[in-house]
Amino acid sequence: MSILDLTISEIHQALVNKTTTPVELVKEALARAKANNDNAFEILIEEQAIKEAEALGEPEVDNPFWGIPFVLKDNFSTKGIETTASSNILNGYIPLFDATVYAKLKKKKAILIGKTTLDELAMGGTGTTGHKGTTFNPWDPKHERLVGGSSCGSAACVSAGIVPFAMGSDTGDSVRKPASYAGLVGFKPSWGRISRYGLFPFAPSLDHVAYFTRDVKDAALLLDVLAGRDLHDATSSLEPVERYEEDLSAPLKGKKIAVIDDIVQTISDQKIQLAFKRSCEELAKQGAIIEHIRFGEDLLQSIYATYIVISCSEATSNDANLDGIKFGPFYPGKTYQEVMFNARTKGFSELIKRRFVIGSFSLMSENQDILFRRAQKNRRKIVNRLNEILAKVDAIYVPAAPSVAPKIVSSSYKLSDEYLIADNHLALGNFGGLPSITLPLMLEDGLPVGVNLTGAAFEEKKLLSLAAGLERITGLANLSVLNKKEGNL
Amino acid sequence: MKEITLDVLHDAATRLLFDMSDEEYQTLFEEFKILTKQMETIGRIQGLDELEPMTFPFDCGNSYLREDVAEEPLPREEALANAGSVQDNEIKLPKVVG
Repeated sequence: MSILDLTISEIHQALVNKTTTPVELVKEALARAKANNDNAFEILIEEQAIKEAEALGEPEVDNPFWGIPFVLKDNFSTKGIETTASSNILNGYIPLFDATVYAKLKKKKAILIGKTTLDELAMGGTGTTGHKGTTFNPWDPKHERLVGGSSCGSAACVSAGIVPFAMGSDTGDSVRKPASYAGLVGFKPSWGRISRYGLFPFAPSLDHVAYFTRDVKDAALLLDVLAGRDLHDATSSLEPVERYEEDLSAPLKGKKIAVIDDIVQTISDQKIQLAFKRSCEELAKQGAIIEHIRFGEDLLQSIYATYIVISCSEATSNDANLDGIKFGPFYPGKTYQEVMFNARTKGFSELIKRRFVIGSFSLMSENQDILFRRAQKNRRKIVNRLNEILAKVDAIYVPAAPSVAPKIVSSSYKLSDEYLIADNHLALGNFGGLPSITLPLMLEDGLPVGVNLTGAAFEEKKLLSLAAGLERITGLANLSVLNKKEGNL
Repeated sequence: MKEITLDVLHDAATRLLFDMSDEEYQTLFEEFKILTKQMETIGRIQGLDELEPMTFPFDCGNSYLREDVAEEPLPREEALANAGSVQDNEIKLPKVVG
């Protein structure tokens, strides 16, 4: 096993001990990236990455990110580096500033080696709609399966062993669902915990910065770096930042965990049901108190529609600035409206246009009250229920997805409870702006599937402590296709 | 709710300043049939009229005034660097008046 296959904290030790160097790590990461055929990259940043690695001096003992290679989803602004959000309407766009997330990682001397593919403009959950085509799941060498989206390239990079962590964004489940399909830790902290300055907006009331790591400790270390108020982002929080890795070894004894039975019961895969049940039994053996509750089936069934109406409506308005005039490919026309019309007709793919029309339809004056405002009211009802539960327990615990990574050609019945509830419940964390983490539960016929823990707003430290306890139970820390494991469940 | 027809979808797309092919409009029309049923799941929820629409996950009372410190504006060359139609240091578009 190469040092690159270790976790961030382990690689850091190797760097401090001088068992390896940033240049060696970056070159190996780039070599793996070039050899990879999962279609995970928009762009590789080879020259700059090697130059940055060469310029590093002595290892910084107290900085776990010194010399660590990483990737950014291509919807984070990077000054001087083309950023397209996998959309043709942004081809050739070169940002003039760095996203705060990138600036913070640069300051810590982590090394960006590439920008990754996504579902166009982060609107999608399959990893098949970006302008470079489908991003494949590294766990399936036949390339028949999705890795999920929208943060598809970032998920593929970490699970293929190219980098130990990758930045993404999560509006409905865009990090936490691919994490399940790719056998990774996918963490979305509270809304406002990490600055979104420089992250291309999709639906700002739901958008979160999120990321992939290969264990919970790395997720905590990364939050230490990224959390905090940013004057460039008025929605970034003033809540004090904690040392998130401090309680990772804490015992589970006495922790209260709610299992939402009306989510779990919609899953038809019996192997997932069994492994999930076993994990609950193990949690109880460790002294955790498992409380089986019902959320309310009607409310759960309404998650998907609530999400689609709100997210598409917000996106319709946000993406009005993509007009081919200030940036992006310019298409001539007889009037300025025709210039915009041509740019948007040629620049957006069919799926994006359909989503925009759904948003526009929801916002039409005849529909606004019964669709958009009603969805917003329902969001409040759902969040009230969530917070009522979280006032009594430390976290909510459920399977992250109803299946292993689906085949690319597969389709699901869009009105079934399994689709409406089990496939879409992770949006609950976005509705409430709650910290939410996915981690691997088991492998089914060689393919990973994850579970999810969600906590109260700004209780990241408590949530990460619980997730670390669960990770000890599953035995699946630091899983990747280059570091396959059986697990305990 | 407004009845969904191909004309309504055309109108929505035109307002959004783009067009789609006939086949794409048809796909969208079919998608709306499912979507309408999915939207009914919100219609079934009781007691929503008493609730305020939720526009953000929680209140963030971050109103403040920035210190009145002069900053360097974006240089003209950079501001124009990503525009596809530029002439005499300005973005050039078709005439709007006369």
